[in-house]
Amino acid sequence: MIVVDQLTKHYADLRRGRLVALDGISFRARQGEIYGLLGPNGAGKTTALRVLSTVLKPTSGRATVNGYDVLTQSSQVRHQIGFMSANTAVYDRMTAWEMVEYFGRLHGIQDERLRERMETLFARLQMNDIRDLLGAKMSTGMKQKVSIARSIIHDPPVVIFDEATAGLDVLVARALLNTVAELRDQGKCIIFSTHIMREVEKLCDRAAIIHRGKVLAEGPLDALREAHGEQDLEELFFQLILDHDRADEVAP
Amino acid sequence: MSWSNVRLILAREIRDQLRDRRTLFMIVVLPILLYPLLGMTFFQVAQFMKEQPTRVLVVGARHLAEEPPLVVNERFAPELFDEPDKADLLELVFEPSEPLGPRAVRVDPLERAHEAVTSREYDAALYIPPDFAERLEEFREASLAAASGEPSEGKKTKTAPAALPAVPKPEIIFTTANERSQITFVRLQKVLRRWSEEVGKRNLAAAGVAPETARPFDLGTADLASQTGNRGTAIWSKILPVMLLLWALTGAFYPAVDLCAGEKERGTLETLLSSPAERSEIVLGKLVTVMLFSVVTVILNLASIGLTGWLIMAKLPGLGAPPWTSIIWLLLALLPVSALFSALCLALAAFAKSTKEGQYYLMPLLLVTMPLAIFPLAPGVTLTLGNSLIPVTNVVLLLRSTLEGNYQEALRYVLPVVGVTLVGCLLAIRWAVDQFNKESVLFRESERLDLGLWLRHLLRDRQPTPTVAAAAFCGVLILVVKFFVGLAMPEPTDFVGLAKAAIATQLVVIATPALLMTIFFTNRPSRTLLLDRRSWRAELPLAVAAAAVLAVVLHPVAMAISVAIVDLYPVTKEVEASFKNLMGQTPDFWQLLLIAAVLPALCEELAFRGFILSGFRHVGRKWRAIVLSAVFFGFAHGILQQSISACLMGVVLGFLAVQTGSLIPCIVYHATHNALALTAAQITPGLLNESPFLNFIVRRGPDGAFACYKLPLVVLAVVLALMILTWFGRLRYEKTEEERLQEAIQRGIEAEDEPLGL
Repeated sequence: MIVVDQLTKHYADLRRGRLVALDGISFRARQGEIYGLLGPNGAGKTTALRVLSTVLKPTSGRATVNGYDVLTQSSQVRHQIGFMSANTAVYDRMTAWEMVEYFGRLHGIQDERLRERMETLFARLQMNDIRDLLGAKMSTGMKQKVSIARSIIHDPPVVIFDEATAGLDVLVARALLNTVAELRDQGKCIIFSTHIMREVEKLCDRAAIIHRGKVLAEGPLDALREAHGEQDLEELFFQLILDHDRADEVAP
Repeated sequence: MSWSNVRLILAREIRDQLRDRRTLFMIVVLPILLYPLLGMTFFQVAQFMKEQPTRVLVVGARHLAEEPPLVVNERFAPELFDEPDKADLLELVFEPSEPLGPRAVRVDPLERAHEAVTSREYDAALYIPPDFAERLEEFREASLAAASGEPSEGKKTKTAPAALPAVPKPEIIFTTANERSQITFVRLQKVLRRWSEEVGKRNLAAAGVAPETARPFDLGTADLASQTGNRGTAIWSKILPVMLLLWALTGAFYPAVDLCAGEKERGTLETLLSSPAERSEIVLGKLVTVMLFSVVTVILNLASIGLTGWLIMAKLPGLGAPPWTSIIWLLLALLPVSALFSALCLALAAFAKSTKEGQYYLMPLLLVTMPLAIFPLAPGVTLTLGNSLIPVTNVVLLLRSTLEGNYQEALRYVLPVVGVTLVGCLLAIRWAVDQFNKESVLFRESERLDLGLWLRHLLRDRQPTPTVAAAAFCGVLILVVKFFVGLAMPEPTDFVGLAKAAIATQLVVIATPALLMTIFFTNRPSRTLLLDRRSWRAELPLAVAAAAVLAVVLHPVAMAISVAIVDLYPVTKEVEASFKNLMGQTPDFWQLLLIAAVLPALCEELAFRGFILSGFRHVGRKWRAIVLSAVFFGFAHGILQQSISACLMGVVLGFLAVQTGSLIPCIVYHATHNALALTAAQITPGLLNESPFLNFIVRRGPDGAFACYKLPLVVLAVVLALMILTWFGRLRYEKTEEERLQEAIQRGIEAEDEPLGL
């Protein structure tokens, strides 16, 4: 379970003084659901997820993962999550097997269990033929599989996918979405950020629409459609962002 | 800190590096090939240099006498050489003595000799003046006459010896601008000296005096190098430490860049950061990897040098193989040195965005390190307290002392050298960990360099108190300005000079930069300087009084410490004399107090406990901030011995500043401390003799003057001081945001698996 409460994140910026990447966002994601973070590029999705994965520290506000505070209990938080984003690459000079094994050990999994778990994962993700392939020689799809295996090797209760389908072909993307759905069915809490509406419609139980560091709308997809009187999610998304930008222009 | 994680990261990084061909080449292949090749080249070049014959033009050879012979068969006479076959090394060409025909232009022989050398036609020229043989003969006859005729006249010889006719000098014409010419000059000079001695011997023999009279004894020499180390020891003890440093740095640099900047570039850093490994574990794992490669590089290089030296260099005269004991000392020094360099490289590499940017940092790093490594090679540079405090240089000097077998000197300075190196290591490691904790470093965007924009940002986005970087900059600025002002100012010779120097240093060098920076770079100057309303708490008057009492109580302790420091590292005679001289000239004790106690207390506290400590408080740990500010405070003192005790005092002052949140107790403590030290300096042996009380509590130095207080008093002072410090420690002090965060994280770690959350 993830609780994000009034989270803000500022960056020092030479030109503007400071850059507000997150402007007090709040949301909750429960176990056994896929929570979508929907927003255009630069909306603050990656920043929010980096804070959740403890790679970045929040400027103010709180975020907890299964009750652990991301700021003061970052180590425990990292044990609870599997994190995968466009920025978490695969090591060039390691084979698929070594890479997954390495992260499994960093999570403190014992040899016997790690081996079992790896065999299951490699079979399920159909990775046995790339076991001994170096990262440098893998295709994008293969790398994505290794990344998934790497992020769920410790069977984390919370999984965070940040723009995970970016740059993948249809086949690989579909396989990934299926894996995400499977993980949800196992009862995990999943955060799935994307700017592709179809993925949200297909996968997510609830979603937040983020723009310029603010949550514009949040809730179950059906409730969102009803509240804004718009059945098409893409239209709804456009309308919300357009309205927000207009309001900004009127009262900067 | 989980050691199994560190081990895991270490193992992975090592495997990663071993799979990289470039690293393997730099570390294994290069040294194995490099030195044998270099050695061979050097060997051959040296052979070439030694055996190369040089050409000499001899002008006026016909003016030479027959006996003793200088030239035989167009070569210098073999008996003029230690080894007769060396005569072939000087090829002689004789200038045709007479013009060939009546119409030939007559060239002045001396001019011809000069021209032969300036045109580089010959390496040197030997000019024999006309009538040389005749004049030499005249001289001989005159001296013979003097020797046989005058002893009968007795006293006359002693008062006015008969003037002997002068013999014109043969001249060697050469140029120091050319190395071959210099070598030729040395060879010629040797031969001609020997020849002139020969002439002298013959003259003595002719006068019936034994030739040995002119040189009654030879000089005996005894080179004990075989007992104290072989002949090459002196050279090896200079080469090996520099090699060690150079390779420790190179061996650390390339893996560091690949491990940090490379990981950023390949996008795997975020993967690692989101794993359960802590930042400190990541840094430590990487650091040990880098260190390992640095150590292996050095060992392989030294082994290769040693082998090459043993096989090739030992054949060169004057250079034996490196002494085997050097291995132990080099290995001992290797660990701290490579730890220092590894941490430095890691921090620099962590800052770089890409491997390309990382490679750029090698040059500045070398430019800083190499002078430090090469400076000790300058003749006459030996271990002193000052040198032993310079990082890198001190290790080279210490290594040199041990390699030369000078263990006593080494032992004396081993403490400061190890201390400085360890502190350097810790600081560098800290820096590396900090780099990994800084979001601005980890996720650095390439920003266009714009100085104006940056300055505007500094002014616009200033905080209530200075940043850590601003505090460090202020400290460095003070040190640099002080150094240059010190160079520019004349050495004070009287009290007025001293007063001027003190006022200039305190006001211009110390207070002004700190105050200007406070005004420009903070938006709450009074809070930065710990003088705002918040510092006026109810406990303040009591704290001020306690600070004054603490200064009095710590006075004997401070005296004992400075005596111990001077015992260990004596002050040079000049410094001591000039200090005594200045003290003796003080016209009025109150003026001295004003200039040497009150003024520094105000200015130095504003700078070091005001601006600098307030900035360092953002480090997040109270004691680290206090020690950092104390180190800057120490270095701002001129004499090194003074710096050490000032640094200790800086820790006490920093503690007072943090605990009370006010600068007033610090100023009072500082002024009281200085005033007491000045008062103690006024106690003369005469005064001691008169006062039984002073005599009771005081221990006298060897010169009968006041040295320090007696031990029981010092112990009592320590106990009292600890009590007062405990009282200060109990005061509730205001924590910075960073300190609160660190404490929260500490609580989070202590709570272990208990969720603290909502």
